[in-house]
Amino acid sequence: MSYFAQALINGIALGGMYTILVLGFSIIWGVMGVINLAHGEFVMVGAYLAWMASDFWDVDPFVSAPAVFAVMLLFGYLVQRVLVNRIIDRPALVSLLVMFGISIILQSVMKVTFSADFRLANTDLDGAWRLTDRLTVPVTRFWVLVVAVGVTAGLNLFLGRSRLGKSIRAAAQNREAARIVGVDIRKVYAVTFALCIGLTGVAGALISPLLAVQPFQGPPLTLKAFAITAMAGLGSVRGALGGAMVLGLVEAMLALYVDRIGTNLAVVASFVLLVAALVLRPQGIFKGLRHVDATST
Amino acid sequence: MRRSVRAFVLLLLLVTATTACGEGSVEDAAPAAGEAAPVDLSAFDGTVRIGAALSETGKFAVEGRDSRQGYNTWVRWVNEEYGGIRIGEGRYGAEIVYYDDESDADTAANLIQRLIDEDRVDFLLGPYSSGLTTGTSAIAEANNVIMVEGNGTSDTMFERGFRNLFLVATVASDYTKSAVEALAARGVRTAVIAHEDTTFPTSVAEGARRHLEANGIEVLAIEKYPKDIQDVSAIMTKFRNLGPDVFLGGGHYNDAVLFVNAADELGFEPDAMLITVGPSNPRLVEQLDDDVEGVLGPTQWEATMAYEGDWFGSAADYAAYYRRLWGEPPVYQAASATASALALHLAIEAAGSTDTDAVRQALRALRADTFYGPIAFDERGVNTAKPMGTIQVQDGEILVVAPDAAAVAALVYPRG
Amino acid sequence: MSRAAPGAGAVARRWPAGRAVGVGALIVLVVLAVLPLLGGTSNATLLTLTLMLTSIGVAINWNLTGGFTGYVDFGHAVWFGIGAYATAILISLQSNGPQVGWPPVPAILVGALVAGFLAAIIGRATMRLKGPYFSIAMLGTFVALREIVRVWSPLTGGGVGLTLPPYLNRMLFYYVELALVAALVVGTWWLRRTRFGAALMAIREDEVGAETRGIDTTLLKTAVFSFAGLSTGLFGALWAYQNTFVDPDIAFVEVRTIDAVMGTMLGGLGTVAGPVLGAAALYWVRELLWTHLLDAHLLAQGVLLIVIVLFVPRGLVGLVDRRGTSLFELWGWKGWRLEGRRLHRGPAAGGEAEAAS
Repeated sequence: MSYFAQALINGIALGGMYTILVLGFSIIWGVMGVINLAHGEFVMVGAYLAWMASDFWDVDPFVSAPAVFAVMLLFGYLVQRVLVNRIIDRPALVSLLVMFGISIILQSVMKVTFSADFRLANTDLDGAWRLTDRLTVPVTRFWVLVVAVGVTAGLNLFLGRSRLGKSIRAAAQNREAARIVGVDIRKVYAVTFALCIGLTGVAGALISPLLAVQPFQGPPLTLKAFAITAMAGLGSVRGALGGAMVLGLVEAMLALYVDRIGTNLAVVASFVLLVAALVLRPQGIFKGLRHVDATST
Repeated sequence: MRRSVRAFVLLLLLVTATTACGEGSVEDAAPAAGEAAPVDLSAFDGTVRIGAALSETGKFAVEGRDSRQGYNTWVRWVNEEYGGIRIGEGRYGAEIVYYDDESDADTAANLIQRLIDEDRVDFLLGPYSSGLTTGTSAIAEANNVIMVEGNGTSDTMFERGFRNLFLVATVASDYTKSAVEALAARGVRTAVIAHEDTTFPTSVAEGARRHLEANGIEVLAIEKYPKDIQDVSAIMTKFRNLGPDVFLGGGHYNDAVLFVNAADELGFEPDAMLITVGPSNPRLVEQLDDDVEGVLGPTQWEATMAYEGDWFGSAADYAAYYRRLWGEPPVYQAASATASALALHLAIEAAGSTDTDAVRQALRALRADTFYGPIAFDERGVNTAKPMGTIQVQDGEILVVAPDAAAVAALVYPRG
Repeated sequence: MSRAAPGAGAVARRWPAGRAVGVGALIVLVVLAVLPLLGGTSNATLLTLTLMLTSIGVAINWNLTGGFTGYVDFGHAVWFGIGAYATAILISLQSNGPQVGWPPVPAILVGALVAGFLAAIIGRATMRLKGPYFSIAMLGTFVALREIVRVWSPLTGGGVGLTLPPYLNRMLFYYVELALVAALVVGTWWLRRTRFGAALMAIREDEVGAETRGIDTTLLKTAVFSFAGLSTGLFGALWAYQNTFVDPDIAFVEVRTIDAVMGTMLGGLGTVAGPVLGAAALYWVRELLWTHLLDAHLLAQGVLLIVIVLFVPRGLVGLVDRRGTSLFELWGWKGWRLEGRRLHRGPAAGGEAEAAS
């Protein structure tokens, strides 16, 4: 019994980490139709910022996260103005390739600046809470989960209640209609992109004590975000949470209940699920911001 | 308006590109410091040309640089201190031709072929990593060129019956031997193993299982996990419930971080933790501080080991010489590289020529004590004379605890 | 209006230029074929050329689906890995028992067939998806198959992989791949002139419309997808032999797909010469120039990619030949036309104007 409970805790903790990792990616895709192949690299840049704060000034990543958010917000805005703005009206291949170009550039800039050495940020919120001898809650991941849920709730409120949030949703659902009723699409996109990159940076900051920070850590994270978003529905905030939790739990259960190769299978699972979900249910599992049927253009 | 925006972006890209080139040349200058000084080779009776493809870029860039400095340590020493390789009555200078294999298998294969055909090198020194060595050693074999290496240790490449591949380092399956023996002596009864599902960690894990069973330790579970793993909680949960005395695990540096964190988070506290890659690296200890206290790790070589030879002197002498050349202490990858070059050097002298067959004979017959430990190759081409060392992190210091001959501190068990 | 059929007149008028290109290509082929016989090439040169031919071959295959049918495949290198693995499995049977392994030629051919067969099954499912969803599904397929190969260790050797006997006749592999690439070029050139080719391009332009005109689009696109898979699988099988060992991380490499996409884009999407010129140019630029840039070569690659995509969407071929597909015409942006150097939207006199230019 405690075995299953521990699997549940591991899965939810993992789901929390995936949630914060996927939100920015999902919303950019849902609202702007841009598949951010550089997502993992933005996570990586955020992680480096948090590591610098931790290493140079001894600031906990959970404390520096708001500052990382601000810096990444600005960075996201810049990238949006210089490059992304030029590709949102273009075919998907263009945006895919440009974002891919950005990801290579970020990797190599970080490699040249920080070398390929691994780094790790230090947090005081580490260790475990011991419920029983065989049941523990990982502290860092617990707080990541709290932040993830908080951010999800905040985003939900923002998109549902605020004026800007409503414009963003309108732009996602029907650009032309939104334009006609006077939504400034350019502004909406700029805000969305900057906000999401800010969030993505926060995700990087939060995982910087958990995963080694290095220039080439991005691609697996992008793929994960991809799998979750495509399964869960584009730009759906609740879907991101739901999809991340489902994947976290599936991975935790597979890894725990299959001997020897369980962890290997868990990694296969996310991609098999991705392809299966696309082929069998092209409209997505959760209802996203943007209605999609992947079998029609 | 449009046009000006476009021009602006183009300008920006150009600026990035040029800065990049600028920074590239800064990087270029850095390894130049790790370059062998231009010795006038014409003062010698001849030159021995040796080729090596090493990673300056890509995922093995760090280890590639260490290996290169290791090879160059030998070049500097043999040309400046030793006075050239003695072949018969003559003194021959040493020259190494390097290429950057970009940590890529295709590129490495291409460059090795180029070293053999176009640079016409007499011998090859190995690249970094088992993957790159597996591919390039096949080309060396097919072209009948000897390759001596110290940084590709998977057992699989020595099961192919190659005659021209020699490894001065301890083979992967023996990485945990001295640690397991030391632990068995302290009464360890049970163990669990987790390893990354790639060539080198699998060889290490299979060897570990053999050594554990040979020492009467029961292996309760073996778990595999893929490359680029981001979560090992499940593995650690399983292991916690099995309650073993020893945890053995390994793959990449990041895995060490994941293991130590997950063990901490799940309250998994085995009496000993042996992690294949990471603990011997001061950086890991620095970044995980308290959490790695008492963790064990294998090491090919440490400067504190009590090895000594007629060339370079003792391990400590070698470390001092290396530090004088490159301004940093040698990691074991560098020492392995120097030792590979030294083994080749000794074989050439023993053979009295650079003829491939004669040098191969000499390598097979070689028995030498060096700063790196004893060197003697078996019929596979593996140096079985040198035992693998084991280190333990004690009070934040990396100390050799096994085998007894090399130990500078006693093994702390249980880790506390 | 349809760009699929620029009209017989246009083809006829193009003949002299086409002939010049054809003669040029033939000369290049003859030079490449004769050079090694004159003894002017070392094994190292042959290997370099063979690797370049491999990358050209994969780019041509990628262009068959990506350029002609408009299905942008982000996981194409998976067939390379499957071909390599299937061959390696068949050959390495030898080392387990007494001579049960297959000889090279059937092993390579069957390896390619396995890739083609798997491509047919998977293509049938994933080609129902459109635009980026297809791309993502293929990327997912790529990673999933790599991980399945890793897990299926009794057959594939797991993460450790399989080693092959070192049989390194560089000359032989060079000629085989040269012949393959030549056949592929002739094949695509011919394809563009057949009804089959026209039908493929009709899929790219307007799939629903093509279907209503009685074209069995599912059959056609699956056929071309499986052929591309088979052909890339063949290059993978040959590569496995030359590399003498396979493991999941070197047989399934994202960079192969990226290079095929970049090469084709650089040369010209949906053209015959594009992938050949682009992949060759990319290979040499990297080989000659970027090895000196060290770390910055990644950066240069990223910048180059962005510049090509934004500023030279028609690629090298597009600079001289206006028939190539513009990126803007792919994926639901049928309204966009590149006329001269300007982008226009709407059903301008694009079709005729371009055919006549």
